[in-house]
This record gives sequence, structure tokens and C-alpha cells, in this order.
Amino acid sequence: MNHLMILSGVTFAYFASFVLYLFRMIFGKEFWGRAASFLAWAGLAAQTIALLLRWKASYDRGMGHVPLSNLFESMIFFAWAIILIYLVVEWRTKNRSIGVFAVPIAFLAMAYASISPDISNRIEPLIPALQSNWLTSHVVTCFMGYAAFTVAFGCGLLYLLKNMEKGDKEKPSGFLGKLPSLVMLDALIYQSIALGFIFLTIGIMTGSIWAHYAWGSYWSWDPKETWSLITWLIYAIMLHARYVRGWRGKRLAVLALIGFVSILFTYLGVNYLPGLHSYLKS
Amino acid sequence: MLLKKPNPLWSFFSSVKLTIVLLVLIVLIFIIATFLPPQEAAQEFVQQLSLGTAKVFFFFRLSDLYHSPLFYALMGLLSLNLIICSINRFPASLQQYKAPYFPEPAGIFDNLPQNQIIIANKEKSTVSLAVESYLKAKYGSVRKIDTKKGHVFYGERGRFSLFGVYAVHLSVLLMIAGAIIGSIFGLAADINIKEGETINVVNLAGGKGTHPLDFSVRCDKFTVEFYENGAPKTYRSDLSFIKNGQVAHRGSLLVNHPITFEGLRFYQSSYGTAPEIKAIITYTISRNKSREIVLAAGDTLDLPESKAKAVVLRVEENIMELGPAVKLRITSPQKDVQFWVFKNIDEIKTANPGLLSQVPIFNPGLFKPLVFSLNRIEQQYYTGLRVVSDPGVLLVAVGGALMVAGLMIVFFWSHQRFWVRMEQEGTKIRISVAGRSNRNSAVLQQQIDNLCKRIGQELKA
Repeated sequence: MNHLMILSGVTFAYFASFVLYLFRMIFGKEFWGRAASFLAWAGLAAQTIALLLRWKASYDRGMGHVPLSNLFESMIFFAWAIILIYLVVEWRTKNRSIGVFAVPIAFLAMAYASISPDISNRIEPLIPALQSNWLTSHVVTCFMGYAAFTVAFGCGLLYLLKNMEKGDKEKPSGFLGKLPSLVMLDALIYQSIALGFIFLTIGIMTGSIWAHYAWGSYWSWDPKETWSLITWLIYAIMLHARYVRGWRGKRLAVLALIGFVSILFTYLGVNYLPGLHSYLKS
Repeated sequence: MLLKKPNPLWSFFSSVKLTIVLLVLIVLIFIIATFLPPQEAAQEFVQQLSLGTAKVFFFFRLSDLYHSPLFYALMGLLSLNLIICSINRFPASLQQYKAPYFPEPAGIFDNLPQNQIIIANKEKSTVSLAVESYLKAKYGSVRKIDTKKGHVFYGERGRFSLFGVYAVHLSVLLMIAGAIIGSIFGLAADINIKEGETINVVNLAGGKGTHPLDFSVRCDKFTVEFYENGAPKTYRSDLSFIKNGQVAHRGSLLVNHPITFEGLRFYQSSYGTAPEIKAIITYTISRNKSREIVLAAGDTLDLPESKAKAVVLRVEENIMELGPAVKLRITSPQKDVQFWVFKNIDEIKTANPGLLSQVPIFNPGLFKPLVFSLNRIEQQYYTGLRVVSDPGVLLVAVGGALMVAGLMIVFFWSHQRFWVRMEQEGTKIRISVAGRSNRNSAVLQQQIDNLCKRIGQELKA
């Protein structure tokens, strides 16, 4: 079976999982949540197999590289990492509420990668600049970071939602009762951001080491480099505001949303600016 | 603690509010900088601005914000802020580090939840031994003091994590220092070398003049390979590094595989084709005497046997749809002739019998007795190299490693302190477990719950 066929099945599974998380939220029955988690786990397993098949296929065609070399492959890996980190959080916290925000982002990434006419899903050989052992560690750490920040974004949205309805006690919906407590959401936002921050730091550093070997300079102020630093600084500001000035809850949730916008710009928006990271343009 | 009133400047620089303001300003500068045209295109951009806007543009060095005084000033303030904040907070951390184990913080055993209290029906010495050995196994070392009714034990972990934040801040300063050293003492230059050419001077980046090398570099060959889909596969320059007239090092330079020679690193950064095309020409002087020579347009060639001189007028890849050709002009005291030398002269002759007598300019043997033939023509490549030396790299790398280590400590460790009190109550022994942590109270609670569970199990066994 072709790995692209598996990937379209996975896209569908993530969509179905999202719908089931939505059902859980609307009807307040844990049955839907269990079904949603099952589909997400199944999708993750199938996607892992598809990624391995694509990896193998590149070797069969004599190109032999890890499937992390262009926009299509990075989007697929991004979706994979979001689902992985989300499911770990779900498993650790025993709460399925964030799924309704995290899983659709993974679905959108998968769907955009396969539908957009600008994104080629073909396995292409590596151009000289990408022929490096640093490719894997750089891309994996960056996207694990992005994925952790995406989960923080989901928790941030949930926090703001719950915080908004906290005032009117008269109409307690079934969904609100199922939400994690604000304290727990705050802790989840912080923990995902801490995880993402470490991954992003290592991602920027592996990128620097790679640039040192490929371009002769560990830092070139390429727009993607600068934007990754902007994102890093936004989260650094957030961490300082929390540690030293005691920012919690709503402010942290808003900052998680701002950070996510910066991530999206670092990943996609930057491609419209001139620079060195042009591999992602097609 | 400082007794004298703190200097207002000092308190200004030791505030985290300042850090946050500076970081926000730096973020704004970066955002603006990425949207402004890059330095190369700035000239064109400025011409579209009004005079006033253009003045602002130049005043803030907006064409190159990353190297502007504004950005340097912000980085300077940030470094100062970082240093002073760290100095200011360090004594408190040190005090925490040296904090005594006993007496336990006041009131720590008051109002404990039920699960943090264990009642044991055993001998005092048995309980004491069990608790002590368990704490020792878990936390490496255990302290103990005797009280009127029993003992208090103390175990801890992650004491060093109090300094994680200083490691992160130091790492930022190391990286900034590395960047400064690199920009002052470093060198970045570019050079294009044609195949066969030897250079010993490179052009400093940013148009800052030239820099002589203590050795020469020769490009022996440049190769570019393509995949079937047309994408580039390999750029390779075969280089010879020549010192005192001797080839000291020979190597193939590839993208991602720089070559270091005498402290300078060479990178494959670009390539191109030289404007001239090389022609490889053979000419026969007599029946068994011929010479091969490589010429480009404008080159001259001495022909001593005929007391003549040849000039290459043109080298063409494909002229009149007849393939590659070279136009020569040969002058001697007797003659001045011009003619074409076609690579495919045999095919042309076969297709057009009698051509050479009708069109003498197509005759490669027009200047008798010499006969010329064109073996092939070649595109001449040049390789574009980047030449770098950056003495700050080591410092930046150390800073990077320290930052990752520091962040791991900050996020994954905390200083957790545990006190376990044993009190004789009639025939029973009451054990209370309490803890303190500098952050991450959720993890601490887990640890305490786990500790209580394990002590309970230990005592049942």
C-alpha cells in the first residue's frame, strides 16, 4: 500500500477524531471521547508507518533521505508531532478536553499538505545544502517545539473559554463540567511551553551548527532565523513574566496565543520574505 | 541583605520590568527588520521614499538594523540588565543553597492532610531504621536530629538547581561575547576562482576591501552535477592550497563540508560560468609535429615556425547552426588572414562538396602550411568560495551547551526538601511527612505522596 494512501486515511481519521471530540464536548458523554482518542492513536500509528514507508521509498529510489526535507514532509511531521504530544498530555492528565483544539490543527496541517496545489508530495532528492546529518535533528527538534507550543495554544484557548463562562454560574453546561480546572490548564500551558522552549532552543542551536558548516556562519539574520529568535524571545518574555512577576492564568493564555501566531509566521509567513531557507517554498 | 539605600540606577537595572521592556523592544526591531528590504535592495527602496522618511531611514540605519547603533544599544542595556539582575539575586540564592536543614521551617507539620501522617505500631528503633534507610536510598544522604519525643529526618534533592537560572543567563552573555569577538577579530570574505586560476587575495564581505592570504589557493576543477529533475546534486571544487610554492594540502570542497587551512575555513558558496569560453585547438606544423593549446577569445599565440602571430577573434558555441567554431586572425610579415575553424569541419565538407575552395574563410588550413582543428570548446566555470575565520565560535558553542543544560535544570529540576518527623504517642509512633520546594509544587506533592506510600509499605513489611 502506498504511503500517500495511508496518509489520506490518516487525514480522515484525524478529522473524524476531531468530530468525536466535538461530540464529547457537546453531549458530555465520555463514550465519544474514548472513540476520539482511539481514532487519534490509530491515526498516529498509521502515520508513523506511512512516514517509515516514505523513508524506505526514498531509499528504494536511490535518494535515501529522512522524510523531513520539504514543505509537504515538514507539514506531515508537524501533524504527527502535534498528535503525539497531545496524546501524551491526554494520557498523563486523563482529560480529553484539549483534543477539540489540538487535533483539528493536526488535521488542517495534513489536509493543507495534501490539497494545496503549491505543495508537491513527491519524494525529491536532496539539494547540496540539505545533504547534512544535521537535517534530521534540526527539523525534528524545531517541529517538536512547534507542536508543544501548539498544544499550549489549545490549552490557552480552552482557558480563555472556561474563564469567559466562569462568571455566569446559572447555566452550567455539561461541557464546562468536563473541562480541566483553570489551575490545571494554567499548569498545562506552562508545561507545554517549557517543553516547547527547550525543543525550540535545541532546534535553533542545531540550525546554527548546521549553518556553521553549510554557510560559514552560525547566524546570518536570515528572516527565518530572525523569526525563530522572535518566537524564542516571546516565550522567554512569557517565562520571565511568570517566574518573576507572577503572571498566571488569563495573561499566560493570551501570550500562548501570541506565541502561536509567531510560530505560524516563523513556519509559513517567512517564506514570503526573501532569505536562505527557500527549500520550503514549494 | 543590603543595608544602605540602593542606588536608583542600580535598582533601575536590576528590575525584571526593564528586561521585559527591552525584550519587547528587541522583538519589535526584529519584526521591522525582517519586513524591510535586505541591505542589497535598500538603495532602490530609499529612492522611493520622501526626503524626510529617507533621513529617518538612514538615521536609524534601517537598511541594516542588526548592525545599527540602536540595536547595539539595546543589546548593551540587556546585557547590563542581565548582569545586574543576576548579581542582585545571587546572594538570596546562595542563602537558599546554604539554608540549614534544622530546625524545619516553622509550622511545616501543622494541618497536614491525613495521607501525610502515618501511624506505626512498632518499636521506635525499628521505625527509625526503616525511615532512615529508605530516605538514604532515595536521596543519597539523610540528616537526623533528636527531639524530645523522637527524631526529625531530612532528605533533599536538586540543590544545585538553584543555580540553573544563572547558567542560562551566563550562557546568553557568553554568546553575546562570542558574537562581539567574532565581529571584531573575525574575517568573512568571498572569492571567485576560475578553474585553473590561483589566488592569494580575498574580498572582504560588505565591500570592506581586500585581504591578502599567507598562501595561495588554486581551483583545479569545479564540478556541478544535476539530478534527472534538474535540481542540483553536487557542487564540488577541487582545491590545492599552495604554501611557499609547494602544494601543502589538496581537497575536494563540498557544500556542508568546509575545508580548514591555516586557521581559515573555506566554504562552497556559489559558482558560475566565466564569460569566456575555452577552445581546445590542435595545429599541425608538419606531418608528425602538432600541438594542443587552450585559448579563449582575445588570446594570442606565437607561431615561431612561420614567424607569425595568431589572435583568437571569437569563440562560438554554435555558429550558423554548424556547431562550435573559433575565428582566428594570423599575421605574418607576408600575410594577414582570417578564417574559421569548425569542430565539425569533416561533416560540413561532406555535406557541401567544394565548400573550402568557394568559401576560403571556412578553410582551417588557409595559413599554409599550418592546419588548425578545433577539438572541443568548454564552458569555463568559476567557483565562489566563502572564507571565514571566527575566533568567537568556541565561546558561542560553549554558551549554547550551557544554555541547554541550564534550561533543563530550570524546567526539570527543583530544590525539593523533605522533613519526616517521628513522635512517640503512647504505644504508637506517629510519622509526619512534609516538604518544601522552590518551584513546581505539583511535582513536590507527588514526591510527598510517594514518600508516604513507600514509608507505609516499608513499615508493613
